[in-house]
Amino acid sequence: MSRRRIPTVDDLRVKLCYICREEELYDSKPEGPPRAWTHPCKCTLVAHESCLLKWIQTSQGDASRAPNALKCPQCGSQYELESQRPLILRLLGSGNRALGRMGRLFTLATAAGCVAVFTSGVYILFTAYGAYAIRKFIGREMYDILLTDDPANWPWTAFLNLPSLTLSLILSRFQSSHQIPTLIPLLLVWPPSTPVGARSPLSLYSSSLFTPSSLPAHHQPHWPPSPVVFGLFLVPLTRMVYRRCFGMLQYWLLGAQPPSARERDAGRGWVWQEGDVPWRIRIRANVDVVEPEQEQEQAQAQDVGDAQRHIEAQGELGEGDHANAPPEGIPAAEPQAQEPNAAAVEAAEQLIEIDTASLGRRVGGALLIPGISSAMGSLLYRLAKHSRALRQVLGVRPPLPGGAYLSPWAGMGLGMGIGGFGAGGGMEVRHWEGLGWVKRLGVTLRLILNATWHGTRTWAEADPVWWRNSIGLGLFVVAKDCIQLLHLWLAKRELESRHVKNRDFAGVDIKELDLVPSFPRDL
Amino acid sequence: MTSISARRLGKELTEIKAEGCPVGINLVKADDFATWWFTIEVMGESLYQGEKYTLQFRFDSNYPISSPAVQFVVGDGKVSPVHPHVYSNGHICASILGNEWSPVLSVIAVCVTIQSMLASCKKKERPTDNDRYIRFAPDNPKKTRFHYDDDTV
Repeated sequence: MSRRRIPTVDDLRVKLCYICREEELYDSKPEGPPRAWTHPCKCTLVAHESCLLKWIQTSQGDASRAPNALKCPQCGSQYELESQRPLILRLLGSGNRALGRMGRLFTLATAAGCVAVFTSGVYILFTAYGAYAIRKFIGREMYDILLTDDPANWPWTAFLNLPSLTLSLILSRFQSSHQIPTLIPLLLVWPPSTPVGARSPLSLYSSSLFTPSSLPAHHQPHWPPSPVVFGLFLVPLTRMVYRRCFGMLQYWLLGAQPPSARERDAGRGWVWQEGDVPWRIRIRANVDVVEPEQEQEQAQAQDVGDAQRHIEAQGELGEGDHANAPPEGIPAAEPQAQEPNAAAVEAAEQLIEIDTASLGRRVGGALLIPGISSAMGSLLYRLAKHSRALRQVLGVRPPLPGGAYLSPWAGMGLGMGIGGFGAGGGMEVRHWEGLGWVKRLGVTLRLILNATWHGTRTWAEADPVWWRNSIGLGLFVVAKDCIQLLHLWLAKRELESRHVKNRDFAGVDIKELDLVPSFPRDL
Repeated sequence: MTSISARRLGKELTEIKAEGCPVGINLVKADDFATWWFTIEVMGESLYQGEKYTLQFRFDSNYPISSPAVQFVVGDGKVSPVHPHVYSNGHICASILGNEWSPVLSVIAVCVTIQSMLASCKKKERPTDNDRYIRFAPDNPKKTRFHYDDDTV
């Protein structure tokens, strides 16, 4: 042969398996059965075929090592595998891989589905509850105008507002302990927009009587106040006054503020904040914890007492206004002098405070609010049947005639704007004098907003169920507070009237007692 | 017939005893085919001059198909070198001990690689996640899935 033959693994004098490090000399008979050798790459490494196959198989089983499984560790060239791989095996293999991929997808989809089902379940629940709360609060009639039971009629905003209403109702309970009124603005600032009732929006009745031109400003009912004015101004104002009065009552009755009330007042950063209104009211109260410096500082803004409440209203414009705080003082209390009393009140409060902080009680309490206010509202309504004065206070009106729902556009013109302004302005005149200019600016802005709020018309025309419900809820809160106060007062009185019963020394050996000389001991 | 792992380790051990270890590497003990100890010193100019560390190899019955578990011995006065790829519990983050292990490598080859890893170190510091890692680290470093992100050190 002239051409040089290219050597193969079988031509090596010494074969050393790079995996098991066994050697085989060309002329020696290996112990055991002969083993096949292979030279799989472009360098000098050789190996037992069985060792290499084992290595490849093991490596391929490990995802992180699989890329290197068919690669020579020394020269990096690819090993080539020859095997019986009929089409059917390859098909099965790719089928298996596809199934695996689909399986992973399915797992992912299932997980996503579970999350989606759970989330949408919660969402539906919240939305349904929100609708229920609205219905309870504004009454059936208005509910049928604004929302109806059929979600198909709802404006898209309802699908955001209703669940968030539920959420804020629950959350309101966690900001501080006694915050029921927080939700009234929430319920009332429900966008009172387009009536969505199925019946014809603009009937003959309404178009003939309430065309924009025939509805001058003073025809707008002046009572009850518009919901926006009510939610934005009356509620905080009423609450402020109520808290102060109740605080005084509490102080007069107990001789000290209950610790919870003190904490509550001190810890209240912000009371409520209403979504799209650049207006925030902060109430901070310092009751008998006033530092000397603070005292001086506040003495300018307020007039009496070292127990002061400091009401601060500030817009998002960044301007504070201290002057509009109605000057009023809680009966002056010397911190030292009231210590024992405060301690007694605290003890009494601990006695009756069992689990007000429990989760269920809070959430449940929050969710009951619409029901309670509705029940109280209908109670008031029933009472109003017997009292003309109450009827006027509640502004009870007969239900709107069938089909008399106003189109949202009926009053959209100038007439409506003035009407809304007039109604709002009329309500505010009383408070206007007491307001600082920042607040005045706010009110003006508010009223302009109000005037452009086309839905106000609907609210103004319908029987103001929301109004008596709000009053009812307010009465409920008052009653609840009074009962709580009574409980506290009784518990405190019980603590103070406690005495340990005194006994004589009957049964004790008289010799063991060190008695006064005057004690007759001639027995 | 003894297992492949025992036979291969036997051969490696014979070679070590016949030819000796590379400079700076010394066999401490190899009483069985389960655990071997070496000492490692970095020769020449380096951050670890004059320092001696103990390296432990643990083999399972699949060696050399499966990689040895290699770590520095910590305790009894022994510490692990301060190195960006060496945790304070002795575990080493090196790709050749994980997905780049190959049967062509040997115990001595691993020792030399670790030695050169120390020699090329430019700054003595622990891995950034050292504290977090050693809190949950398994006993066997092979059970850790290291993420090899830096081949330069």
